[in-house]
Parts: sequence; structure tokens; C-alpha cells
Amino acid sequence: MSVAIRSPAEYLRLYFLIEGQYIKARLHYRADFMISSVGMLFSSLATLGVFAVLFSTIDELAGWSFMEMVFIYAFYMVAISPMQILFDQFWFLRFDVRQGTFLKYYFRPLNMMFYYVSERFDLKGLTQLVLGVGLLVYSSLRLELGWTPGRLAILFVTLLSASLVQISLVVAAACSAFWFINSWPVLSLAWKMREFAPYPMTIFSGLMRITFTYILPIGFVAFFPSQLFLRPETVSGVVWAAPFVGIGLFAVTYLVWSRGVDAYTGTGS
Amino acid sequence: MRSYLAVVRGSTMMGMVYRFGFLAATVGNVVYLGVAYYLWKSVYGDATTIRGLTFDQTFLYVALGSTLFIVLKTYVDWNLYSEIREGIVAIYLVRPIDFQLYMLASCTGFFLLSVATLVVPTILLMVFVFQVSIPLSAPLALLPFSLVFAFVLTFCFDYGVGLSGFYTESIWGISTVKDTLVLVLSGALIPLQFFPDTIRDILRWLPFQAVYYTPLSLVTLPDEGWQHVTRFGVQVGWMVVLLAATRVLYGRAVKVLRIAGG
Repeated sequence: MSVAIRSPAEYLRLYFLIEGQYIKARLHYRADFMISSVGMLFSSLATLGVFAVLFSTIDELAGWSFMEMVFIYAFYMVAISPMQILFDQFWFLRFDVRQGTFLKYYFRPLNMMFYYVSERFDLKGLTQLVLGVGLLVYSSLRLELGWTPGRLAILFVTLLSASLVQISLVVAAACSAFWFINSWPVLSLAWKMREFAPYPMTIFSGLMRITFTYILPIGFVAFFPSQLFLRPETVSGVVWAAPFVGIGLFAVTYLVWSRGVDAYTGTGS
Repeated sequence: MRSYLAVVRGSTMMGMVYRFGFLAATVGNVVYLGVAYYLWKSVYGDATTIRGLTFDQTFLYVALGSTLFIVLKTYVDWNLYSEIREGIVAIYLVRPIDFQLYMLASCTGFFLLSVATLVVPTILLMVFVFQVSIPLSAPLALLPFSLVFAFVLTFCFDYGVGLSGFYTESIWGISTVKDTLVLVLSGALIPLQFFPDTIRDILRWLPFQAVYYTPLSLVTLPDEGWQHVTRFGVQVGWMVVLLAATRVLYGRAVKVLRIAGG
């Protein structure tokens, strides 16, 4: 099957067209948007509450102050937002695969992953993004971090890479549905790992540190890239991989997705 | 009674179907235990006790807390919501059963299964891998009751949120707010001792701490005497209040139900 080659600009135009319709449809449910946003706000603030309680008894965690932890957590919130807002549809992949509704994606002259993620735009995730950006600004003002245009460029690139790490882990887990149908156990596990990302990776040792750095690299979702801005003079070599890890990981995930799409034969329903 | 036992048996069998889900939950929990171990090791540093708790006490508390969090997931809010949405709830209304008891029975099987598949392995892991000793003491006798009551309390929260499905089709937000409140205010993530005193004095009387802090302190604070009985009393009190409150709520909510065709 030959797929028409389209330029990135054309894909972007299509994306805005599709999401525009989707958002218009969602805005009929204003109350749902409000209630969901409050829920999102609560769950985003829960971890901060835990930090606040923890730091009421201790002054620093593995050498990191409360405000530095807020910065890392804010970075984390921004980094996981693209997964929440743009790639939310992957939570439904297991249903689409089981019920056969996934078959329709084979019949459009579009990139299949693009077509699939364009099905949904999670509005409530915007709460998390706005809160994350706000806290990022607030904590860097309080910490008096010196922002230069160069630093801001690095911030942008590392945030992009960090969000690709998060997207890759969840999407790869969701893709297990192509082989096992019920991907829920793997998916919920991958989702749980995300919760450990805002902790200083230096507290771990041995197997856990290796796993979080090299195997399921959640250290690159928030902690390692944050170091580039919090303690730029003392970063270790591995931290400089932060801007590139996401791209590599996403390439592997895309390969898994492509294999899955090729291997999928339907469930007969 | 027999019909409710049949529902419990049915939900246990349903739970068996999802055994890979339990497996994944176990793996996730073991990783969490590792994270919690290093996190609290780092918090304690050289200190032997913080806020009157030793590292072993805190770690045991946090580890059992995260296990309890998985065990106490009833999903009643989501199940009730989808049954209202799809109109299946109408079937229950014509049956000669008590709806609240039926819903409670429908998640009891999962609870029993997960106690067996999660709590027991966690305790073994704590004792043999992390070398944390679990003191055998008199308060432990209350634990089975306290655990069951914690389950009933969680059921009341989830059932109450599920009942809101009679009024609105948007439940994600309400359910998330409930989960967050319970998680933070119950001492599920951090022992209540770590909270500032004024906040702790308020939390003591709320229903949230009765879900986690009350049963967990039975294991981790063997030297406390009467405080256990007081907390147990508060737990029973809230259970009665919330069971009654959700009955009233159901009586009102079911009146607004309209199901088109079916």
C-alpha cells in the first residue's frame, strides 16, 4: 500500500483542522471540562503537598532544597503534558484492537500514528501544563536562576526530549496490545513508573539506579535534565545525554508501533 | 444473605480472570517498595528517629500503605457510573435486592483476592528481603476488623462518587478529587506523624485517616494502648455515618434516573 507523501506543514494544517472539530464537540460539555480540570489540578498538587509535608521535618532531600524539588516537579509536569494532551488516545488502543475498530486506520492515506493520535485532544491536560509552566517560572525566580537565551533554548530542547521519553514509555506499553490484546497490566505498570520520575535519582543505588537511568529511563523525564539548570557546574556526563535520549527512544518506539501495526490481524470480532 | 454470597463468589471468579492485572500490580508495588526504601533512607540520613518513628516503623508503614492502596481499589465508582450510563442499572432496580449491599458484595471478591495475592507477599518481602521485623502485639488482634472496616469506608467513598453518575455524565474529575483527598489526607503516603501538629489534630477526626492510618498504626505502633481503641471507635463511627449517608443519597438519586428504551 503506497502512502501519499505529505509535507510536515500539511500534516500540521490537518492536525489543527481535526482537533478544531474535536474541541468544538468537547466544548458542548463545559461542566465536564470544568470538573475534570479541577480533578487534574488536585492530582497535580498532591505530590507537591507530599513534598511540603516532608520538608516540614527535613531541610533537604539528598542535598536538594524544597524549592529545587518544586523546580524538578514543575519540569516533570510540563514534560508529561504532551503525553496527556496529545497522545491520550493510546489508552484506548487495547479496546480498538480488541473490537476491530483499529482496522479503519489502515485505510487512510495518512501516517497511521499521526491519524491515531489526532483522534483525541485532552483538554483537561492543559491545566497540568499551565500549572507546570507557572511553577517553573515561580521556582526559577525564587531560586534566582540566570536565564540566558542559550539556556532557554536548552530548556526547550530538554523539555521536548523529556516529553518524548514519557511518550515512548507509555506508547510502547500500549503497543503490547497488538500481540497480547489486553495491554492494561503493562500499561498501568508503565504509568506507575512515571510517578517516580520527580525524585532525585541520586538516592537510588545499584539495580534501581541502573534501571531508572538506562533501562526504563524515567530519570530523563525530570531529574537529569533539571540538573542542567539547577546545578549546571556539577552535572555528570550522563546528564548531557538528556537532550538526545528522547529522540532515540521515540525512534525505537516508532519501530515497535510499526511492527505491531504489521503484525495485527484482528481478533475476529 | 445467600444471594449476596453468590455475588461475592461471582466477583471472586471475575477477579481470577484478571490475574495478569494482579501480577502487574504486584510488580509495580515491589518497585514502589524499592523507591520508598531509598527515599526514606535518604530522608532519615543519620537520624535514628524522626517524629518519634524509627526508619523501620516508617518504612513498614509506607510499604503496607501502598499495598493497601491497591487492595482497597473497589472501582465501584467507575462500575456504577458505566452501569447508569448504559442503563444496566435498571435490571437491579427490579430485583428484590438491596442495592447498596449488592454493590458492596460485587467488589468484595476482588478485595479478598487482592488481600491474598498482595498483602501476604508484601509482608513476606518486608520480613525476609528488607529485614524489617513486625512486632507481634495485642493491637494486631484488631487488624482484621480494622482492615474490613477500611474496605467498607473506601466502598462508601467510591459508592458515593458513583451515585453522582445519576446526576452527571462527568465522573473522572469527581473521582480524581476523591482519590487525591483520600491519598493525601489519610496518611497513605506519609505517616500522619510527619504532618504539622495543627493539621494533624484536624485530620485525626476526619474519615480519611480511618482508611489508612488506623489499620496501619495497629501494625507499626505496638506500644500505643488506648489510642488504638479511640481510633478504632472513630473508624466504626464514620463507617456507620457514611453507610447511612450513602443510603439516603441513593434514595434521592435514584428518583432522577431516566432510562430511554433498552
